[in-house]
Amino acid sequence: MRRLRIRWTVLLTLLGVIAAAGGVAVSAEEALDSFGHGELQPSSFADLLGPITEGGRTGWDCAPERAARAAAARAAELPADSR
Amino acid sequence: MRFGALLGALCLWLGPAAAALAQSYPAATEPPHTTDVSRLRALAVEREVHERFARGLKAEASSDWAAAIPEFERIIALDPPEPKGSTARYDLAIARARSGDYGAARLLLEAALERDPGFRAAAANLVTVDVLAGDLAAARTAADRFTELAPASARARYERGIIALRAGDLSTARDDFRALISGDPAYAVAHYDLAIVEIRSERFDTAETELESALAIDPTYARARFALGTVYVRIGRRTEARAAFDRAARDASDITLRSVALDLRDRL
Repeated sequence: MRRLRIRWTVLLTLLGVIAAAGGVAVSAEEALDSFGHGELQPSSFADLLGPITEGGRTGWDCAPERAARAAAARAAELPADSR
Repeated sequence: MRFGALLGALCLWLGPAAAALAQSYPAATEPPHTTDVSRLRALAVEREVHERFARGLKAEASSDWAAAIPEFERIIALDPPEPKGSTARYDLAIARARSGDYGAARLLLEAALERDPGFRAAAANLVTVDVLAGDLAAARTAADRFTELAPASARARYERGIIALRAGDLSTARDDFRALISGDPAYAVAHYDLAIVEIRSERFDTAETELESALAIDPTYARARFALGTVYVRIGRRTEARAAFDRAARDASDITLRSVALDLRDRL
């Protein structure tokens, strides 16, 4: 009789622990659903390219044209919002 | 003694030369070796265009948009040949956009592209102007046009990728960010944005790989670290998620991101 009571106590304690863990898990998931996605936004848009001088586009050799056609991101005046 | 004499002679020789230089003007236009009235008028217009470009650009350099606008408007009224006509419209569009008149800026950039369909900087700024105006549908059309004009352009791919991602067009966004990464694998932001596409597509393994790439390039990239934490939560790796949110909170300069990261860390 006593042994049976101990078994039931252990079983109920285990169930309690599992239920508590599940509760924590749900709360973290819910937190992500409620405000986590707001922080998972895409990066910001690029800013305007700068002005061009009177003779700047002769031969397309000016900074904004070079930025507009650059294949490398670091030469394209793109955002670096890493923080 | 000999050196002093040499220096004195040099000063005597340089003195008149320096005075002559101070009185000379830059040769902006050819001297008018003509008495023909129409030719003289054309040269005068050319000179005015030159001077107004200089004044307009100087005003833009100091963010004095109100002073820049009439200079470029006058150049447009003088109707110089290409590429000056489209360049003046482009420069005026910048002043208009910086003044908040996005509608006028858009029309000017359209006119610049009509005059010179290969003007890629104008195509790029048209996208940005539509974004600033909050018109994402028009921005997408402009971004498609820019990408068509410059398929290898990192900026074209980036802008269209961000617009597509915000509009929920995950397929286009994925293609653009992949193209951007293949052109410049060291650009951490592209890895982050591709990861956002994959998270929204519930492809968490790929998202994890991209975020790890972003963090290998920049270990203090707080937004990427935060996103990695959310991926870990989704795939049930809570210990790693907790560590990621903790590190994101420490690296973040954005107060909102920091507080959300701390909150999520404490819930795990």
